[in-house]
Amino acid sequence: MVEFQYVRPNNVDGALAWLNEPGVKSRPLAGSTDMAILLRADPHLCDRVVDISLIPELHRIERRDDQVIIGAAATFSEVLENPLVQQTAPLLAQACRQVGAVQIRNMGTLGGNVCNAAACADSLPALVCLDALAHVRAADGERDWSVSELILSPNHTLVPPGGLLVSFRYRIPLPGSRSVFLKLGRRNALAISRLTVAALGRLDEQGRVAEVRIAAGAASPRFNRFKAAEDSLIGRLPTAELYQDAAHRVAEEMIHITGRRWSTEFKEPALEALVCRALALVFETPGSELQEGA
Amino acid sequence: MKIDFTLNGASVSVEAPASTSLLNVLRDNLGLTGTKQGCGIGECGACSVLLDGRLVNSCLVLAPQVGGREVVTIEGVRGLEGGANDLQQAFIDCGAVQCGYCTPGMVLAGEALLASNPQPSRQQIREAIAGNLCRCTGYQQIVDAIEATARRRRAKVGHD
Repeated sequence: MVEFQYVRPNNVDGALAWLNEPGVKSRPLAGSTDMAILLRADPHLCDRVVDISLIPELHRIERRDDQVIIGAAATFSEVLENPLVQQTAPLLAQACRQVGAVQIRNMGTLGGNVCNAAACADSLPALVCLDALAHVRAADGERDWSVSELILSPNHTLVPPGGLLVSFRYRIPLPGSRSVFLKLGRRNALAISRLTVAALGRLDEQGRVAEVRIAAGAASPRFNRFKAAEDSLIGRLPTAELYQDAAHRVAEEMIHITGRRWSTEFKEPALEALVCRALALVFETPGSELQEGA
Repeated sequence: MKIDFTLNGASVSVEAPASTSLLNVLRDNLGLTGTKQGCGIGECGACSVLLDGRLVNSCLVLAPQVGGREVVTIEGVRGLEGGANDLQQAFIDCGAVQCGYCTPGMVLAGEALLASNPQPSRQQIREAIAGNLCRCTGYQQIVDAIEATARRRRAKVGHD
């Protein structure tokens, strides 16, 4: 039997043409950290791999007005080393820094992490916390989804067959915002996340919570912000009791979504503790660097 | 399929199915067995090579992905006279080589770090080699070797 064919288009139009050729089952290949293993297990997974990893426009990281746009084939290393990302979305840089190890970060891409849509994907809570939009192109047009809408369940997204996730964009958080990404794994490097929390927030001039966003990873199959917990914080002076109450609401919502599972005994207190820690870092850290505003 | 790329500074051409890993091309097609196969799933770092200057796991790279690009393996890391280079000598001097299986990947991880950061802290060295497993040394000697090499290279630059 003939194994898959490999092609390397120079641009997104070329990639879409290869991906949509009738009668040929094609799959995009970006960082290859997952695909190489899948293809080794089943060389007949597809008829053709379309290597999008070297398409220059898919690596672009740039500011447009009050938004930052990140190409979907940007590697974790490219994202975490980018000064624009470091300034405007420290939580995304932190999330990318905690993926795998150097080798994986040099290969794996933001788009691949999102399309793979694992519940433990480190970039997803950060992107959801940023209210990031995903731009998808297909043969019959293009459209944006929020990242949280895009993810249906592990390995399932709204990206249509023949479609290609080409970029993400997020609005730069307002001046004075702080953000953080925390991860629990069995070891520091090369650890599949047991639980992650991304949080972003800002205080008003009276020191009350003006804005807060909370998302978690490896907590549920889909990725949404915890709106009830966020609402409980708005307009209040940040205190340890307030964080604890919000953290409890986050854990309750997780259990509401997933039910009580074998891992809940660990995840419930761990999630509460991580949310408390994240909120304290966002609202209390004296002297921690403020994000540059829009 | 035919794959042309630059390997350790020289042009090479190999014929291999698209599903072949770069690791297998290096070891089986080109006979360069310095790059080791460990886990095969990107967790141990034994197969680390530099691809366009970046450290990657060659077991996770499909051979055609390196077409037109530049690969450096441990065979491409050597001193001016052909023996060990300063980092490799430091590994020997510091007792950072025991069974040796992780050493090629560790040396390349060290070179990748020193290329981008000539003055790494011990913590940064640990992070740079976090994707390379060593079951013998306990890592301290490896960190020592990379740290000592960074210091000597900085001193050398200072004298040049």
